Amino acid sequence: MILYQDLGVLIGIIAIIVAILRLKNNKMSVGMAFLWIIIWLVVIWVSIFPNSTNTFATLTGIGRGLDLVLIIGLIGGYYLIFKMYSMIENMDKEITLLVREIALQRGDLKEKIDDEYSTDSNSLDEKTKIKSK
Amino acid sequence: MILNDLHLKNVPHSNENFEDNRNQNPGKSNNSANEWNIYVVMPAYNESKTIKKVIEDLKQRNLNMVIIDDGSHDKTYKIAESSVYDHGSIYRHVINRGLGAALETGIKAALTKNADIIVTFDADGQHDPDDIIPVCKPIMENNADVVIGTRNFNEMPASKKFGNTVMNMITRIFYGIHVNDSQSGLRAFNRKAANVLDITSRGYGVSSEIIGEIKKYDLKVEEVEIETIYTDYSMSKGTNLIVGLKILAKLIIDILK
Repeated sequence: MILYQDLGVLIGIIAIIVAILRLKNNKMSVGMAFLWIIIWLVVIWVSIFPNSTNTFATLTGIGRGLDLVLIIGLIGGYYLIFKMYSMIENMDKEITLLVREIALQRGDLKEKIDDEYSTDSNSLDEKTKIKSK
Repeated sequence: MILNDLHLKNVPHSNENFEDNRNQNPGKSNNSANEWNIYVVMPAYNESKTIKKVIEDLKQRNLNMVIIDDGSHDKTYKIAESSVYDHGSIYRHVINRGLGAALETGIKAALTKNADIIVTFDADGQHDPDDIIPVCKPIMENNADVVIGTRNFNEMPASKKFGNTVMNMITRIFYGIHVNDSQSGLRAFNRKAANVLDITSRGYGVSSEIIGEIKKYDLKVEEVEIETIYTDYSMSKGTNLIVGLKILAKLIIDILK
C-alpha cells in the first residue's frame, strides 16, 4: 500500500468514530450520521481498492477513476456551499425578525411605562392636593 | 407656511377624493394637512452628529417620528431619546441589521400607531424637512399610493450622479419599472402601500426593492422633486459605486436562487 492509501483509511476511520460519538452525544441526527458513515466508508474502500473506481469511470465515460472521484468531490463541494449559503441566508432573516420583534416589544413597553409613570405622578399630585385641602 | 399653502390648494382641487379618503379614516375633519396622521420613519446608524438637528427640525414642524436606532455604536440612541421627547417613539435594534431591516421595523411600528401616511426620511441631514408635506400631497389628494421624492440629478455631484444613474438602469432591468430616482431616501406611503410592502433586503438594496414592490402590487406612484443638502458628511454615506456593485451582485444572486 502507498502512503495516501494509509492516510485515506486512517482519516476515514477517525471520521467514522467522530460521527458515532456525535450521534451518541445527540449532536447529530441518525440520518446525518448514517450519511457521513457511508461517505467515509466509500473513502476507505476507494483508498484500499483504488482500481475499483475505474469500473465506474469507464461506465460514465470519464476514463480515469481518480478523475471521477475529483469530479464527484467538486460537485458535492459546490452543493454543500450552496446549501450552507441558503441556510445562512435563512438564519439571517430569522435574526432580523428576532431583532425587530425585540425592538418593537421593548419600545412599546418603554412607552407603556412612561405613560403609567406620568399618570401615576398626576394622580399622586391630585392626592396631595386633596390631603392639603 | 407650507401647510397653509397646501390647505388652500387642496380645497378646490379634489374635494371628492378627500371625501373618499376620509371615509377610510373616520373621525377626522376634511381638507387639512394637519389632520392627517403623518409619521416620519427615520432609520439611524451612527448618526450622532446629525440626528439631533434633524429631530429638532421635524419637531418644529410638529411631525410625529418613529426613529429606529439600527444598533449604533455611538450615542445615537441617547441623543435621539433625549431630543425626541413626546414627538414620537424610538426603537432600537440590538444589533445592526441594515437600512432595509430598520425601515421595515419603522413602518411596522408606524402602522400600529395608526399612521395615515408614512414618510421615510434619512437621518444624515441630506433632506429638507420642508419637502415632507409636498411629498405627502399626492397621497392626501388620493392620486398616489407611493410617492418618491426625486433628487435633482443636475445638482448632484458627479460621483453620486454616476452611481445613481447606474442604479436607475439596474432597477429598470431587474424590476422592469423606470423611476427618475430609484435610490431616494425620502418616500411616502399610504396605509395600503405600507401594509403590502414586504421588504426582505437588509442593506441599501432596499430602495430598488421598494420600486419592485410598487410594480408587483400595481401601486400608484408619483414623483415629487425634492431638495438635497449635500454636505461632506452626507456625501460620505449612501449610494456610491461599491454599494452599487454590491446591490447588483445581490440582485443577480436573488434571480439565480
